[in-house]
Amino acid sequence: MDRQFSFRLNGRQISVSAPPAHTLLEVLREKLDVTSPKEDCKKGECGACTLLMNGKPVLSCLVLISQADGAEIVTSEGFMRDGSPDHVQKAFIENGAVQCGHCIPGFIVSTEALLSRNPSPSIEEIKKALAGNLCRCTGYASIIRAVQQAARKD
Amino acid sequence: MLSEIEVVSAKNLKDALRVLHDRSGSIRPIAGSTDAIIQLREASLQTKQLLDISGLGELRYIRREGSVIRIGALSTYSDIIESDALNSSCRMLVEASRTIGSLQIQNRATIGGNLGNASPAGDTIPPLYVLDANVKVQSHENARLVPIEKFFLGYRKIDLKPDEIITEISFEAVEKPYDGTFLKLGLREGHFISLVSLAIRAKWAPEADRFSDVSVALGAVAPVVLRARRCEEYLKNRILADDTIWNAGKIASDESSPISDLRASANYRRAVIPSLLYKAVDNLIDSRRRSQKP
Repeated sequence: MDRQFSFRLNGRQISVSAPPAHTLLEVLREKLDVTSPKEDCKKGECGACTLLMNGKPVLSCLVLISQADGAEIVTSEGFMRDGSPDHVQKAFIENGAVQCGHCIPGFIVSTEALLSRNPSPSIEEIKKALAGNLCRCTGYASIIRAVQQAARKD
Repeated sequence: MLSEIEVVSAKNLKDALRVLHDRSGSIRPIAGSTDAIIQLREASLQTKQLLDISGLGELRYIRREGSVIRIGALSTYSDIIESDALNSSCRMLVEASRTIGSLQIQNRATIGGNLGNASPAGDTIPPLYVLDANVKVQSHENARLVPIEKFFLGYRKIDLKPDEIITEISFEAVEKPYDGTFLKLGLREGHFISLVSLAIRAKWAPEADRFSDVSVALGAVAPVVLRARRCEEYLKNRILADDTIWNAGKIASDESSPISDLRASANYRRAVIPSLLYKAVDNLIDSRRRSQKP
């Protein structure tokens, strides 16, 4: 039986009707057309569904929509500036950090969260903050370079 | 499958306990749900009703009262990692929480959930064993304290009735001359499940070359977390020479009863226990040396 849930999504207050035990990920992708969080492993291992919930990175495949009621949700889309990529997203493009691209929205969210609490992270700190995001194209070196560039804001 | 499940979102603890009482046995509480959602998908957990207690702020606290540390069951691993009280007087629980899953998991998963899920590889459990922690469980009518070793009854079996919720974990702060640490062995850094884990709490003797009291707990090497009591007995009041530590490790290894699974063989698990104990004792010696420097 569907229930009504409302929360802030990428800065907009929204309301959606969904079965309460559906995941936040399913509802975003299937009902709200927010498709940057990806459904891959569905068991909390790959990080492709990472988004910010109340300012902290979490896995949307492991959050029920009923648990997101009233929350503040930000996905990779939410970091765009007037329809253009922000400095983090640009840094990923400019460093060739995007190969197939599937894992990237999760990496973007983890990177944004890292830089908001630590504006100039060391390589070790970057690796640690991104340890929950897997890239199967093995693009980690360029991803780390992208995060370093984003931290320099150039 | 998840479409048919009803979710009751509890507003406060009283409300949650009443729902559990009224629907006892048919509704299942969930908190951070990082294990529960996977178990529901894989059908190892089957229920038509979930009681979501993740929003109960009243069970999310870490505080110190005198020499006792109290942790609300809904405290997340991130809460533990960031807690000043725990960083200064129970670093082993911080060390254990840091190794659990990724940051994304640490931001959701709770210490109460780690106990409720009752995996023998649950990483907060060995520290709680050596801390002789108490688990507080509450029902609509009752509240009781269970010593941690009595809480775990067998493989994934705990002393928790269908109408009860784990509400608090409490233990004595670890302060000089006590110290403690947690170590685990896994396959990669960042979200791995323990092959073997070890927690140690020790009281330094005035001579500073031996422990006058010591507790050792091992995770993932038996159906429940194990206190290595023969190893403890052997280590106690013995000068911490290399041989002594290795012998103690071998004793701990003999006390374990690991299984072989996809992560490691039983023989491998048994073989690494002495190395883990050695590293843990070495860590305590090191930390004592550093604290003695002017």
